[in-house]
Amino acid sequence: MEEILTITNLTKSYGNKEILKGIDLHAARGEIIGYIGPNGAGKSTTVKLILGLEGDFGGEIKLFGKSIGQDQIDYKRRIGYVPEIADVYDNLTGYEYLTFIGQLYGLELEEAADKSKSLMELFGVGEAYHSRISSYSKGMRQKLLIIASLIHNPDLLFLDEPINGLDANSVMIFKEILTQLAANGKTIFYSSHIMDVVEKISSRIILLYDGKIAADGTFAQLKADNTEGTLERIFNQLTGFHEHQEIGEKFVSVVRGGQL
Amino acid sequence: MTDFKTLRLLDKFRWLFIKMGIDYDMMRKILHIKLTMDERKVPTLFNQNKKKDNQKYGYIKSLWIYMLFGLILIPLMGFGQNFLFQMSIAFAMIIFLIMTSLISDFSSVLLDVRDKSILSTKPISAKTINAAKFMHIFIYLSYLTLALTAIPLIVSLFTQGIVFFILTGLEILLMNLFIVAITAILYIAILRFFDGEKLKDMINYVQIALSLMLMIGYQVLIRSFEFVNLDMVVSFHWWNLFLIPMWFAAPYELILHGDTSLLTVIYTILAVIVPIISIWIYIKLIPTFERNLQKLLSTSKSKKEKNNRLKSFLLTIVCRTHEERAFYRFAALMMKQEREFKLKVYPSLGFSFIIPFIFMFTFSRGEEVDYASSMSYLNIYFSMMIIPSAVLMLGHSAKYKAAWIYKTLPLKDYTDLQKGSLKAFLIKLYTPLFLVLSIVFSYIYGIRIIPDLLAVLVTSWLYTIFCFVMMTNKLPFTKPYDEVNDAQGWKILLLLLPLGLLVGLHYIIASQITYGSTIYFIVLFFINILIWKLVFKSKK
Repeated sequence: MEEILTITNLTKSYGNKEILKGIDLHAARGEIIGYIGPNGAGKSTTVKLILGLEGDFGGEIKLFGKSIGQDQIDYKRRIGYVPEIADVYDNLTGYEYLTFIGQLYGLELEEAADKSKSLMELFGVGEAYHSRISSYSKGMRQKLLIIASLIHNPDLLFLDEPINGLDANSVMIFKEILTQLAANGKTIFYSSHIMDVVEKISSRIILLYDGKIAADGTFAQLKADNTEGTLERIFNQLTGFHEHQEIGEKFVSVVRGGQL
Repeated sequence: MTDFKTLRLLDKFRWLFIKMGIDYDMMRKILHIKLTMDERKVPTLFNQNKKKDNQKYGYIKSLWIYMLFGLILIPLMGFGQNFLFQMSIAFAMIIFLIMTSLISDFSSVLLDVRDKSILSTKPISAKTINAAKFMHIFIYLSYLTLALTAIPLIVSLFTQGIVFFILTGLEILLMNLFIVAITAILYIAILRFFDGEKLKDMINYVQIALSLMLMIGYQVLIRSFEFVNLDMVVSFHWWNLFLIPMWFAAPYELILHGDTSLLTVIYTILAVIVPIISIWIYIKLIPTFERNLQKLLSTSKSKKEKNNRLKSFLLTIVCRTHEERAFYRFAALMMKQEREFKLKVYPSLGFSFIIPFIFMFTFSRGEEVDYASSMSYLNIYFSMMIIPSAVLMLGHSAKYKAAWIYKTLPLKDYTDLQKGSLKAFLIKLYTPLFLVLSIVFSYIYGIRIIPDLLAVLVTSWLYTIFCFVMMTNKLPFTKPYDEVNDAQGWKILLLLLPLGLLVGLHYIIASQITYGSTIYFIVLFFINILIWKLVFKSKK
């Protein structure tokens, strides 16, 4: 299989704080990779480095067979990105924002307009196409972000909690979109804290813990290596977390007026 | 989306940008979007009844105030040959106005963190993004500078000649570069050492100071034309080296007067070299800047809440119920921490402090005042001018949507919320101001006026509740600021009228009745308690 992304011994520090402590990662065409880990494990840092939002890293990142370095921008044309906390120019309308983004990716205005209109309609938010984004609901906003990340037909997608705020029907549509994209040879990095979803859609799961990769393999492989049954439990086990019951009990006792 | 004339003008310089290695078409698209968004700075959601072009050229329309300020420059730039003095003053004014407006209006452009995640993930070079950012500021700065200097420049073309005109034009360009670079470098320095919240606070304070200065400046200007004396002779001293406006004034002496003394030459060189160096430093620092900009997103360090026993005790006296105290604390925090509220109210707070003095000196001009017997201390009443607008603003908040919590709380009615926030305003904002004023006035007029001051203080409480009753929106922090409209502006003006009556009443009582002020104070005090009780009669 064609390798889309190769990361070799990636390190990154902020000041004295080491965030990534040597990551090796390979992603091939058509893979949906569940990219999980506790808060602060370095997930979004990795994505930011790949996208060139941050620099000064150690090791190597290879995208589409080429190493990324300073002043390389063309590879970004083949990447789509839905950030977790997304900034949007929300005083623009959906049409204005999407065509703007499309044009930045090199699409013609008409092409971007047609595409974004159809995609908005398919996603059930066609009527909001010409309204200001500031008036959108959380789910509509999320759909807009998803469309903005796909409008230029990228080969590699980074999705960070992409179904945040979507209703159950939209989630089903979105999962189907992911499956279809993967079948069309797109590579998808899916980052989420909702383990059930990750477990179901991912063809491979990578667990990041404390700046290192703690597990890498299909869900079946992970299950074979660990005694626990669900991805949630495997996650707990790999990150060495067992106190949930104890903490939960204490929490409720404080809620009821008890002492710590 | 319509095309912009400004951008069409910019198209003529396309070759220049391309030569610098900038993707012009991409930059134009970004600028187009940015300008479109600027037009919409007022969210139309709440302004739909307004006429469309009202908002469209909002910024351009706000420029007339700068044109007005520009008129002051006419005597300085248009007449006289004492260039070093005149032009130093003129440039000092221009630098001050442009820099403060840059900080208050364009900080959002310089510090827009959305750019990073939206634009940097797209295939656009950093150079192009930065060029777009720079041109965005440059376009607005050009509007501003033109508004400020166009009229004086044209006058000077006729009175001082073409050389002066060209020289001034060039210098203003250099100065603008200097201002942008210096402001950005200032931000870089602040971001390097402090976190983003601190920077936002600092910008907020600059904005407050600017509005206050414009308010006072206007008052002082109409009264100060006699001060202008163009015959001042200024000579160079070595310490003038730090007076930046003087650098820009020196070239006039050099070129128009042929003064080739060492300092003139040094200043002229500085005026040319320093802006260029500063812009070069800025360009070098852009990557650092971009990195530190991320700090704006990060959470700031948390402060530990101090618990003062005396304060909590006093608060139990002021606010009787538990809920009222909670709302008092909440309102006090909102007034202290919401930047938009501060921007709207604090300048008038400062103005309220100044206005009694302005009235005092205006009315007593040319006469000897016997401070031991004069009753002009009643001007202190005009410090209450802040009360109507503050009470109005109290109903508004940038985070007005968060008011949903009021509805989910198990409250019988909102009287505690209203009482608590009004008291918070009186105690946290108005009373400190009044106390300082009182101390100054007692110093000027003697302690004999203390009963009067007490009467004024209780009047202010009464006046506050009166203003509150007149407001249509009575729930604190529940409306967006955009909803403050002209009708409410008129209402505030109307609410100011009773102030004159109150002064008259106080004057009559204090001058006609022995111990009038003391009696007045005691009567008012009890009326106060009664009225507050009546207004906030709990609907049980």
